[in-house]
Formats: sequence, structure tokens, C-alpha cells
Amino acid sequence: MIQTMLSLVLRAVVVLVGSALVTFVLLWNAPGDPAMAIAMARFNAVVPAEVVDQVRAEAGLDAGFWPAFKAWIGPLLVGDFGRSSVTGREVWPDLVTAVGYTYPLAFLALFWGLAIALPLAILAASRPGSVLDRVCVAMASTGAAMPAFWLGLLLILLFAVKLAWLPAMGARTASHIVLPALTLALGVAASLTRIIRSGILEARDQNFLPALQRRGVANSAIERDHVAPHAAIPVVTVFGLELAFLLEGLVMVEVIFGRPGLGGFLVNAIDARDFPKVQAVVLLTAIVFVAINFAVDIFYKLLDPRMEDRDA
Amino acid sequence: MTLSVSGLNVERKGRVILAPTSLSIAPRARIGLVGASGSGKSTLGHALIDALRAQGVVVAHVPQSPDEALDPLRTMAFHWREAEKALCMGHNPARRKALFSALGIAYGNLTKRPWGWSRGMQQRFVIAMALIGAPALIVLDEPTSALDPVVAADTMDLLDNFLTGQDTAMVLVTHDLGLASRRVERLWVMSEGYLVEEATTEDILTRPTTEAAAKLAAHKSWLTVPC
Repeated sequence: MIQTMLSLVLRAVVVLVGSALVTFVLLWNAPGDPAMAIAMARFNAVVPAEVVDQVRAEAGLDAGFWPAFKAWIGPLLVGDFGRSSVTGREVWPDLVTAVGYTYPLAFLALFWGLAIALPLAILAASRPGSVLDRVCVAMASTGAAMPAFWLGLLLILLFAVKLAWLPAMGARTASHIVLPALTLALGVAASLTRIIRSGILEARDQNFLPALQRRGVANSAIERDHVAPHAAIPVVTVFGLELAFLLEGLVMVEVIFGRPGLGGFLVNAIDARDFPKVQAVVLLTAIVFVAINFAVDIFYKLLDPRMEDRDA
Repeated sequence: MTLSVSGLNVERKGRVILAPTSLSIAPRARIGLVGASGSGKSTLGHALIDALRAQGVVVAHVPQSPDEALDPLRTMAFHWREAEKALCMGHNPARRKALFSALGIAYGNLTKRPWGWSRGMQQRFVIAMALIGAPALIVLDEPTSALDPVVAADTMDLLDNFLTGQDTAMVLVTHDLGLASRRVERLWVMSEGYLVEEATTEDILTRPTTEAAAKLAAHKSWLTVPC
């Protein structure tokens, strides 16, 4: 147990430091002068060279790559995300506000995606090869091939422009979350439907099921006790990956729907070379990633105790 | 009470897997169902089970390997309880203990899953599970072919001893005449979906009347097989 925890912490540290370093390298080497970008974002105008130099010194950009990296990561180790290079405001409160918009959207999308995928997959798997099954699979494939930005625009056209049922832009009321959540949920549902369907079909194909039937075990009990647990194993694996894709889709969907979440926060920060802000988002995402993977690992072992045995 | 079924037959895509067959099995009978691979032994075994079930007879089935009988994600205790429920029986630890000791199953860790037990013990567990409902007939489908010879012989000895005190009849599906000649008094010989010969084990081994039986009997390897 202690060994598991240690290896987990070690993995987390490697992932976090690695992603922080890679982001820093990318931002540092991106075309254009970072100090110029920061100064332009700060004053919202073209600025003279002295001002740019002053900004460079302030942001610690004149000291070279490693000192700049150290100056940023040092306070972070004690939980200080630092201040924005552009506004000088603390990054942390703004980050929390953005997260407050983004994570409810993510969870809602995941929940709806699952709520759509589960019945669809069970329906499709009830008669493999039937017309119903093919329709479900075709829908799922179409959904998976459809990029979020296009689907989002289609939904805006239909529900906001044509039918005027739902608001399209912003996040003022609760109903503003419906369209972006639906956009993401449909993408999630598309891939989950296929995974759950094939999980169920594979689980139904196990060689010990006929013997259980011959033993007199009721079909409903076989489905519940022997098919469902086996079908859940691949689903849990993919669910973790699904969350990763979701984070990626979130940025785009938030920008399309004009939601003030992490997506907009990140895009603006990259535009202005606001290193502390970008890094904060990257780090937060990396932490969430590690946490999700950890949860999936634990859940996996609960579902399939054979894994535990192999680890030991 | 003698069990009897008539008109068993199985066709798949117009091909005869099992020609119409009628059978009767006396209480305590020990019957070997033998034939080459693909001759329809297992099909007849399954059809027999289904037909007797339809008559309301309690029939148990033991498949070839414990992998085909146990869910690797479920504990041994779960399987046992599930088998009891399938027979609409309450949980009875005394009955479990009796069956375990009859089949030489160490009162092992029932919270373990199948892969935490040896294969021999798993198979004994499956046989014990089949005996929960005191079935009128137990059909064993090549029950020892997945075990090593010594474990296989032990397992069959224990089952033999247990059945001696019971009314349960046994049908042993096997292609192994050596096993059959030691364990059963009558043989049913299958060939290409037909039950071609039915006689005492001794008659078939010494005076086979059909080609299929003669072929099986001519394979003297059964004399040296240890179980």
C-alpha cells in the first residue's frame, strides 16, 4: 500500500514538473518577443522600447530561461500561483472563478453523455446486427466524427437562432449551460456508446455463461452479476481517456459559446504570453489528469481483483 | 424412478447434429457416453439435460474445465450461494460442509476467487456445486480432461464414493474409454449424430457389434490410462 502511494506521488511529480517545463519551453520559444506581447496586452497599444524593457525586467524575462523558470516554479512549490504579468492581479482567484464555470460544464457533459450512451448501448447490444443496432452504431460513428466546434454551431443555429428556445452566448443564467453541455455530451456519448456496446457483447460471449444457464441461474441474474461487471472493465479505462478528450473539447466549446471559463482564460493568457496564467491552467489540468488516472486505477482494481494479484 | 426421454433431436442449418434418440436411465445408473470428437456426445448430453429439466427433473451439469463453470471476478462463496438460489434453496452451511468433505475439498478460503484455488480444487468445487440439489442425474462432460492424471483419478474416486450412497444417476461424457471402463457399467456409443450402440461396458469392449464401437474398443490405449 505504502509502495503504491509512493509510486503514485512519484508519478505525479514527474508529470507535473514535466508538463510545467514543457509549457515553459514552448512559451519561451514561441515566435515574437514575450515582453512585447505582455506590454501590448497591458497597455492595449503599441508601446515604446523602454516600456518593453521595463516589462521584461519586471516579468523576470531578462535573466534567461533557467532563472525565469526557477523564479516562477519556486513560489509554486508552496502553493503560490503568482501574479499575472499583464494585470498584476493574483492568478489564483481568477483561476478559481474560471474553474467555477468550467468544471460544472464538464461534469454535466460527462453525466449527460453517460446518460445518453448507456441506454443506447444496452439497446444496441440487446440485438447485435439488427437494424436498431446498426442505427445506434451509425449514430455513434457520425457523432464521433463530428468536431465539437461544428456541432456547437449547428446546435446554436437550431436551438438559439431558429427555435429561440435556449440562449447561445455567455453564462448569465443556468439555461446558458445547456447548449455547450449538450455539444460536449454528444461527443462523449458517441464514443462511450461504442465502447459500452462492445463491452457488453464481449462480456456476453464469455465461455462460462452457458454453464451458469445450465446451472439454472436466471438470465437477469447473469446479466447483473456476470455480464455487467465484465463489461464495466473496458468502460472504466476509456472513461479516463474520455475525460482527457473532454478537457480538450472544453476549451473550444467555451470559446464558441463565449463562456468565461478556463478556455477563454487560457486563450487570452497565451495571446498575452501571460506565463503565470498559462502555467496555472496547465498545472491544474495536469493535477486533474493525475487524479483521474489514480481514481481509474483504484476503480479498476475494485472491478477486477486479478489486477491487484498481478501487482503484488 | 427411471428417467426417460424420447425424440431428442438437434438440427442446425438443416444438418443433423443429433438423430432422433430415446433414452432411459435407471436410478443409480452409471453410464458412459462415448464416441469420437464431433460425434455428438456433448450435444446429446445437453439435449438430455434440457429434456429432463422440461419434465421437472433436477439435473446437474459439470463442464469440461472449471474455466467454463466459474466467473473469475466472483468469489467461491458467491458461486455457491448463486447455485443454491438457482435451485430455490436457502443457504445451508452444513450441506456445504458435507459436500466439501465428501469431495475432499479443504474448507478453503471461500472469499477467494477461482484463480486463488488450484484447478483440481476448482473442478471438485464445481462438482460439489452440481450436487447441491441432490439431482436425479449428473451429467459430467469430460470432467477430468483438464486435470493431471493423479488429481483426475482422485476426483473421480471421491465422486464414485459419494454417489454410492445416493440415488443420483451419472452420465459421463468422454472420448476416453479407459476412464469409462473403470467408472461406468453401461456405454452409449455415438457416431456422427447417431446413438449406434448401447450395451454393458464389458460387452462393448469385448464384443462390439458396430464399427464405431469396434474402432473405440480397438484403441488399446485405454488399458494403460491411469484413471
